[in-house]
Amino acid sequence: MRDSVSESMAEEEAEINLTPMLDVVFIMLIFFIVTAVFVKEPGILVDRPQAVTAEIPDGGSIFIAVSSNNEYWIDQRNVDLAGLKPIVERMHRETPEGGVVIQADNEAQNEYVIAAMDLAKEVGIDEVTLAAVVP
Amino acid sequence: MRKHITNIRVENEENEINLTPMLDVVFIMLIFFIVTASFLREAGLDTNRPDQDQPVQTQDEEGAILIIVDETDDIWIDNRIIDPRAVRPNIQRLHAENPDRPVVVQVSASSRAETLVTVMDASRQADVYDISIAEAP
Repeated sequence: MRDSVSESMAEEEAEINLTPMLDVVFIMLIFFIVTAVFVKEPGILVDRPQAVTAEIPDGGSIFIAVSSNNEYWIDQRNVDLAGLKPIVERMHRETPEGGVVIQADNEAQNEYVIAAMDLAKEVGIDEVTLAAVVP
Repeated sequence: MRKHITNIRVENEENEINLTPMLDVVFIMLIFFIVTASFLREAGLDTNRPDQDQPVQTQDEEGAILIIVDETDDIWIDNRIIDPRAVRPNIQRLHAENPDRPVVVQVSASSRAETLVTVMDASRQADVYDISIAEAP
């Protein structure tokens, strides 16, 4: 009987204990779920201007694209300025800490870019970034 | 004796929950979140749009470095048309004369976004990060 106890102990030591790893994996999973900001892509590919000093903002989660023919795109939809505001308001409610990133095309007119900036300000978002690519 | 031990062992094994499938699922979710998290990086330039009710004073000579972008995408500093590549040295010179002056970019409604970004980028390269965007009247 005593022998059998030591045998079963040896068996247990041979098995890897997965519990601590599982704990770590779960904590990482929860961390990534919490920090993940689900980006809603505007749904159009714009030709962004180049800027050497472009930097990655802390939290940009509302993407507004202004296409080359001055159309607004947000969340896979083409909307006009009046239709843009409720969508930005809703997205701002969902992620209050996220800023606005305006992806303006090279050919987009600044009138529309500035209107989008003003709209973000009206909604109450101070962090507005103008998207650019580092050449 | 032998039979007794095997019996105990089988019972023990059945009592244990098999964690492997859950671990697989958790790992796949983990990989998914890591991959999607790294996708939401978009480089850009911080903008500063002054409040409507208190517009920045653009006419003041000493107040700010005023850069005008007109409707034909020409860049004006001090009543001269500046080549886009020469914007940075011009801002650098004005910045060296008085380091406290912010930059105000007054853009025409029909100018292109590329020109605005070029001017903002040049200003940031010249170490002036306080850039306000104003719309031309």
